[in-house]
Amino acid sequence: MTLLEVSGLNVFHGDLQAIFDLDLRVGEGEVVALVGANGAGKTTMMRALVGLIASKQGRIRFDGAEISAASAEDIARAGLCMVPEGRMLFDSLTVLENLMMGQVLRRRGYWTLERVFELFPILAERRSAMPRHLSGGQQQMVAIGRALICNPRLLLCDEISLGLAPLMVEQIYAAFAQIGKQGTALVLVEQDVKRASAAADRLYCLLKGRISLETAAGAVRVEDLTRAYFGA
Amino acid sequence: MAWIETVVNGLLLGGLYGLIGIGLALVFGVMRVVDGAQGEFMVMAAFFAVIVLAAAPDLHPLIIFGLAILFSFCVGYVYQSWIVNRSMQSSDPLAPLLLTFGVSIILRSVMVEVFGADLRGLQLGSLSRASIAIFNINIGVMPLLTLATSIALFLLLQWMLKRTSFGRIIRATADRRDIVRLFGVKPDRVYACVMAMSVALSAIAGLFLAARASFTPFSGVERLLIAFEVVVLGGIGSFWGPLIGGLALGVTQLVGLKWDPNAGLLYCHLLFFIMILIRPSGLVASRS
Ligand SMILES: Nc1ncnc2c1ncn2[C@@H]1O[C@H](COP(=O)(O)OP(=O)(O)OP(=O)(O)O)[C@@H](O)[C@H]1O
Ligand SMILES: [Mg+2]
Repeated sequence: MTLLEVSGLNVFHGDLQAIFDLDLRVGEGEVVALVGANGAGKTTMMRALVGLIASKQGRIRFDGAEISAASAEDIARAGLCMVPEGRMLFDSLTVLENLMMGQVLRRRGYWTLERVFELFPILAERRSAMPRHLSGGQQQMVAIGRALICNPRLLLCDEISLGLAPLMVEQIYAAFAQIGKQGTALVLVEQDVKRASAAADRLYCLLKGRISLETAAGAVRVEDLTRAYFGA
Repeated sequence: MAWIETVVNGLLLGGLYGLIGIGLALVFGVMRVVDGAQGEFMVMAAFFAVIVLAAAPDLHPLIIFGLAILFSFCVGYVYQSWIVNRSMQSSDPLAPLLLTFGVSIILRSVMVEVFGADLRGLQLGSLSRASIAIFNINIGVMPLLTLATSIALFLLLQWMLKRTSFGRIIRATADRRDIVRLFGVKPDRVYACVMAMSVALSAIAGLFLAARASFTPFSGVERLLIAFEVVVLGGIGSFWGPLIGGLALGVTQLVGLKWDPNAGLLYCHLLFFIMILIRPSGLVASRS
């Protein structure tokens, strides 16, 4: 079953086009890696999918409904959620309050405050702390937990390992295995191709706003990927 | 003893000044918009009360206050959703400032057109003149009530922002107005509610002001000036700032007047000016 189906997507930053005629598909419960160099358009594509960028053309179907003209609020309500690049926590809210923002959508399911605290026990310990007093990895856990509490059908994760210590990245990716088990589909955006393809079923590579490669994650050929990543 | 009485009365007046600033501070804190029309909203609430009082002289003052506050709440909601939200879409931070000052000019002109430029007052009967003596100091009941209301409203607002889920949504929206949408929050609607509360708070200040001294449609200008001074003096972005700033202004004004009866608000403006020079972050420096 296809959960997300994007066809002919064009996205614009003012007069500048950042995404060109993009097709993309994510199946129910599937884990998809999206890789690409700096400025390839990964963040732009994700922000367009969740409705934060309105100047776009093309068809986006999610869970059987057309959402290309829907507001970000309605897209979230349908269960398409995002862990944004740079974590984007609410700075004047405590850890607990940040997580509770995920409850505003009232999408019930497996993920609750308690389950997130089980997944990331350190957050339970630091529930009253302000985000700026957390390490980068702990902040990332808050961002992931906040999105999980929305009980998404599909979770878009934008560069969650960026700037984290290797051990922390290990820990967070271990959590993804557990998240996938609940049937949540995932799109993992990474610059680290190895990391992303190890966790994913399928892989897309983005180059200057276009899909340059689509392949099963286990069958990535290095020379194909190099060409798709850097261009010929 | 006379000086103590002056300081006490200054503090009581300061409670009112804090109340004048709180609406402006709330809007600025949440939306980063300086609302130039808050002064006119204070005057408008007072005119509303005058009209209702004229139509139904037997109504209890509390009911009249309640109606005026409710009216202002609705005005604030509509004002934000129809007008200010539109200008906030613009990438130019000056756009909402100019727009709200435009609204203030229009409101003022309309009030002159409808009510004329005569002095008006809000007569609350014996309550306006009642006073009690504490340690030989004569204290007006109205000013005492004003200060108590002011402190109570500050506490209520603080509680709402810190402890309720709506307060949490307001703070999150103030932090990141795009990211809250990922959680189903419509920023425009949050802003409309905040503006409604802000105009309602300003209405309370406007009613107390009108019960204290007469006003005209032009009074909004000096009210906004006081609100502005209170907020900046207290420290922009700090929650208790407006109350502290208000108390400082109130004491300064009355002590100044006692010393120099022709001073008016001169010493308040001087205090504001000096504070901007030596401590621009305000009396209560905010954390960020
Ligand atoms: N707000 C913006 N206004 C104008 N252009 C933008 C904006 N955001 C991104 N761009 C441009 O759009 C293109 C794609 O940027 P985007 O941030 O989507 O890339 P990315 O793949 O996420 O890169 P990174 O790996 O650095 O996060 C870039 O050329 C960038 O300069
Ligand atoms: Mg990016």
